[in-house]
Amino acid sequence: MTEKNGKSHMPKDSFFFEKVVPASLVFMGLVMLGLIIFAAGVLLGFIKF
Amino acid sequence: MSVNHVLPFLSTLIMLVFTVSVLRRYIVRRQAHFLFWGIGLAMFGAGSFAEAYLALAWNKWIFFAWYLFGAALNAAWLGHGTLYLLVRRKWVNVVTGILIVGSLFAGYLMLQAMPKLDEAVFTIDKIVSEQYGTKVLEEGESAPAGALTITTTYRGEEVTAVRGLLPLGTPVRLTTPFFNIYGLITLVGGAIYSAFLFWRKRVMPNRVIANVLIAAGALLIGFASTLTRLGYGEYLYVGELFSAILMYAGFQLAAKPQPHEMIESVPAPASAD
Repeated sequence: MTEKNGKSHMPKDSFFFEKVVPASLVFMGLVMLGLIIFAAGVLLGFIKF
Repeated sequence: MSVNHVLPFLSTLIMLVFTVSVLRRYIVRRQAHFLFWGIGLAMFGAGSFAEAYLALAWNKWIFFAWYLFGAALNAAWLGHGTLYLLVRRKWVNVVTGILIVGSLFAGYLMLQAMPKLDEAVFTIDKIVSEQYGTKVLEEGESAPAGALTITTTYRGEEVTAVRGLLPLGTPVRLTTPFFNIYGLITLVGGAIYSAFLFWRKRVMPNRVIANVLIAAGALLIGFASTLTRLGYGEYLYVGELFSAILMYAGFQLAAKPQPHEMIESVPAPASAD
């Protein structure tokens, strides 16, 4: 993929991009870690099915 | 026919359109990440279709497809596509080799398990995710009402277990967490990382949102699967449907041409075109 010098930018002072997006990235990162720990728990036998 | 019978068919339809769309891009552009995404999406679709089928009737080869493609492999292949997009190093080819060999080995183990399936426990009254595993009962724990149990020797101990389609100690089940952890890290982690890169540079808001949608879609199915394993299977099909919708929407949004795009080369991680 290529892009130009004048590529599109995020809108300035956007609550969505300044607050919602980073918060959702952090939240999803934490959920991902939780799921990884859960899967590892299954693998290691701490969590039984 | 209930809503739970219809939802997996809808997911299958969305994944079919999604798969064709991605594989068409691979045919045009010959970029490896499209191929792996396409294979992973086809596996996701096969898993959804198998789930839909198994909500209506039993077929052991459909179960084979459901477990191997739907439960074990699809996340890893999807995530590997993202790895190919983000990391252009030779070691990724080594990981590709490991993924292929690992997937073939899982297929072999699944074939080994086929003659041992406990088909008598299958019922269309429960979703397949709730009845594939044989679960050892802890001391003092009682089996759910109506569940079939077995008392057997497992790892040198006499145990009572709720019977499932795959008997206790089926080796293929040990492979699933490896594939799913790898898929989770590469697919979700890759999408979050890509969104973060665009966000930090304050460019291409469509790809920030696209990657957020892809990560959310992938997490949703992971979360719904986990809930199923904890005994809350009623959310699985709706989770799968929304997962398919979110990831497809993310892909389409990332692929949408922007007014100022093109000309000067700049690496653009986790884009869908």
